[in-house]
Amino acid sequence: MIIIGERINGMFRDIAKAIREKDPKPVQEWARKQEEAGAGYLDINVGPAVSDRVSAMKWLVEVTQEASKIPLCLDSTDYDAIEAGLEVCKEPAMINSVPAIPDKMDRVFTMAAKFNAEVIGLAMGEEGIPKDAESRVALAMELVANCDAYGIPIDSLYIDPLALPCNVGQAHGPEVFETLRQIKLLSDPPPKTAIGLSNISQGTKEREIINRTFAAMCIACGLDAAVADACDEELVATIATARVLMNLDIFCDSYAEVYRTRNL
Amino acid sequence: MAVDILKEKYRGQVREVVLGATKDEGGTRSHTIKVGGEKALPFLHFEGEIPNRPVVAMEIWDMVPDEWPESLKEYFKDVYNDPGAWAKKCVDEYGADMVAVRFKSADPDLNDTSADECAATLKKVLEAVSVPLIVYGCGKAEKDNTIMGPIGEAGAGENLLLGVAEQENYKSVASAAMANKHSVIAQSPIDINIAKQLNILIAEMSTPLLDRIVIDPTIAALGYGIEYCYSIMERARFGALQGDKMLAMPMIGNICHEVWSKKEAYLPADEEPGWGDQAERSPAWEAVTAMALLQGGINLLIMRHPEAVKMVKNNIDDLMKDNSY
Amino acid sequence: MGLTGLEIFKHLPKTNCKECGFPTCLAFAMALANAKISLDACPYVSDEAKEALSSAAAPPIRLVKVGTGDKVIEMGDETEIFRHDKRFNHPTAVAIRVKDDEDVGAKVDTINNLVFERVGQQYEVEMVALVNASGDAGKFKAAAETVASKTDKNVLLMAEDTAAMEAALGVLAERKPLLYAATKDNFEKMTELAKEKGCALVVKGDNLSDAAELVDKVVALGHKELVIDTGSRETSKVLADMTQIRRQALKKVRSLGYPTIALTTEEDPREELMQAGVYMSKYTGVLVMNNDKKEHLLPLLSWRSNLFTDPQKPAQVEPGMHVIGEATETSPVYCTTNFSLTFYLVEGEVSSTRIPSYIISVDTGGLSVLTSYADNRFIAETITKALKDCDAESKVNHKKIVIPGAVAVLKGKLEEESGWEVIVGPREAAGIGKFAKTNFA
Repeated sequence: MIIIGERINGMFRDIAKAIREKDPKPVQEWARKQEEAGAGYLDINVGPAVSDRVSAMKWLVEVTQEASKIPLCLDSTDYDAIEAGLEVCKEPAMINSVPAIPDKMDRVFTMAAKFNAEVIGLAMGEEGIPKDAESRVALAMELVANCDAYGIPIDSLYIDPLALPCNVGQAHGPEVFETLRQIKLLSDPPPKTAIGLSNISQGTKEREIINRTFAAMCIACGLDAAVADACDEELVATIATARVLMNLDIFCDSYAEVYRTRNL
Repeated sequence: MAVDILKEKYRGQVREVVLGATKDEGGTRSHTIKVGGEKALPFLHFEGEIPNRPVVAMEIWDMVPDEWPESLKEYFKDVYNDPGAWAKKCVDEYGADMVAVRFKSADPDLNDTSADECAATLKKVLEAVSVPLIVYGCGKAEKDNTIMGPIGEAGAGENLLLGVAEQENYKSVASAAMANKHSVIAQSPIDINIAKQLNILIAEMSTPLLDRIVIDPTIAALGYGIEYCYSIMERARFGALQGDKMLAMPMIGNICHEVWSKKEAYLPADEEPGWGDQAERSPAWEAVTAMALLQGGINLLIMRHPEAVKMVKNNIDDLMKDNSY
Repeated sequence: MGLTGLEIFKHLPKTNCKECGFPTCLAFAMALANAKISLDACPYVSDEAKEALSSAAAPPIRLVKVGTGDKVIEMGDETEIFRHDKRFNHPTAVAIRVKDDEDVGAKVDTINNLVFERVGQQYEVEMVALVNASGDAGKFKAAAETVASKTDKNVLLMAEDTAAMEAALGVLAERKPLLYAATKDNFEKMTELAKEKGCALVVKGDNLSDAAELVDKVVALGHKELVIDTGSRETSKVLADMTQIRRQALKKVRSLGYPTIALTTEEDPREELMQAGVYMSKYTGVLVMNNDKKEHLLPLLSWRSNLFTDPQKPAQVEPGMHVIGEATETSPVYCTTNFSLTFYLVEGEVSSTRIPSYIISVDTGGLSVLTSYADNRFIAETITKALKDCDAESKVNHKKIVIPGAVAVLKGKLEEESGWEVIVGPREAAGIGKFAKTNFA
């Protein structure tokens, strides 16, 4: 599983301030830190409080690329901002995200085809997040069929089954795991899967252990990527261990270290 | 239907290791040899660049190879008293890309040759040939730990390929390599996990060594478990292409001892009439062992029989022809 | 093998008519993928779609058979790129060329004689490739008669002239030979012959794409028992083609979902051997070569036997007493397991001691020393049984046995059980040299 480092996000105060003051330093520090900690992608999100999302996204992409060479994951519901970001990305990037709603899929998949970008697709439609695995998988199938119709390789599509905080949506847990497993049967090659890891622990007091355990369980169901805290060393070690147990990486005594430094 | 050619998308590639050093680089070799660097599975030129052809080295000893079968010794009888002349014959007459010197006589149960004498022998070989060299001790760790330092010093700056670092005993060889700018053979006992870990241990001693390690996965001969090595090599190669940098070192197959201790290689025809003529069978056994390893992804072979070397080099010529669509 | 939702969806009318009871074609496709409904529930699915969907559900590489009875050779039905993932199912069949303008009988005798014994196994060449080198149908038929009378091996009939093929089939059809080859010039008649006689047919193109196109044409004529020859003859190109065919077939490119055949071109027997080795390593189903030298086929067939073993099953040597050198009644007796790697390691070290010896390999089902000890297969009782089974007492005049150092703990029990004196050997095979020097020199 690949970590999409979550830290360059305007929801965090230091990043919001950096965007306001056009100070690249905090952004670049987090870019380097996450890369060294083992992130495979860097999530880029301008946050809720920005007035001009288009120029903020463009600036974030540019300054991040000066500090790190790993690919970016442009995270916004404002597709103009994403498109502006894609235009300045040096390497193919990932779009985060699109729900299974026709006009949005049209916009995002067209953009993805143009920029050779990967896409995170959300297993939700007009009616929001479904309750059970079956409905989630049906929406995933919509994403797969559309992705294919726009000529995008299916393995460039990451489907997010959408996890809810376990303190309020406990019943969703098993449905998420089941969805992850079934998504792998939708096509050959199958789409990849991604998840916003820390959603699961929102509002709880034991956030770290919940995140780590959830990561391990998801990997066992075939999860390929997660937006997560790359600087949580225990989380990275958990992921490295789960990968070895799933026979995804070749074991050696220092496997956790090898996983962490694989991009350096 | 028209066929769309399938190319795998790989993230990684095999590391490229340079062996030997020219005058400009602090050595005396006429040229260096690069191994590894490929971005594709063995000889699949259509899916990625394969910048360097596999290399064939020939083994020489620092003593008369009594245990070799007569039919093999025949090729070297005029030179096996003199390692320099032996090395030269391998390069000039038999087309060896490199020479591997085994300090067999250092074995305490044989001549127990001293470190100084080994160093002197190395110098002679360095003078006799201009190709990059591979160096092996006698195979007994206690003794080898005492000779590899002085041998490394005698070849300082030549970027020798020093054998062998093992999990339980890697420091002396790795230190000899660090001190005098040599490369290292990291040998693991038909075990991919140890192969990977050993690279990490060596790199912990000195990060720059990462690009000077060649993996020896330990070779079993044809008919005697070669499929285990073949699969380990395939896994390591595929792993490297998928981005596993700690298994991405080029690989070496020292097939000499394994092949030549097998009946199929050394038995005369009158003892096994059903196996055919020995003069053909012996080199064929060695060459087919090498052929299989090449298909598994080996980058560097050490061999003994001149006819087998010829067969393998011809095979490599054929396989290095571009097969892009 | 099931189809994925996407594969099914692509063949549906995509009208969302709801007559199947599902709200959309996509939902219907998913229900079908999960086997919750049958394709018949869709009133508008076309016959082509039905055909495509049923063929898509077939295995990625067709299983093709040549020969009859216990001589039948199966090829195809492979599922892997790498042998370490799962065993390659069908070892490459080796065919040796016999030309109809040479002494066919003598050559067939030579091929019949290509049988080897090593490490308790028997290897042999399984096909005669009869070549219509004369270009004459009568000669080809006569040669086929000689082959029929001289050998019960399977036959590859190599003639692009359909008259010659028909003549030879008159003699050999009931053997179900493999026919070589349908080309763009003769494929209609050749396919008719193959269909009529129920024989598998090689489809030969000028290159990979061309071969795939010809496969489609032959399939359209109603014959599916096919083997592909891409027509490439350079070693490196054949390697590329074979890899493409295997990869694409596994991705269900139907036109390439058949076993393959490779023909050597090198004239020098040594170079031909190396070329053959490459083709065998990388996926060819049938290998056609000239070389009939025992000394070359022994290593080639040994490689085949290694390559096609099951990677999940440990390779084993025959349990029993193995003699190293000119062993006598005073020679030392070692024991170890019958896991091939362990045994060969011990055997290598013992033979380099240059002290003639015996090694008893105990039947541990191919497990290594410590694993089989843990599994109760390498313990006092089983070692005692092995000593009895090979009648060790009659072979040596001492009753001393060396056991691996890793299982030193067995000493007491084994002495009690067997009545032999137990000497604890080194933990690793590498220590045998020193050990033997101290104990037996």
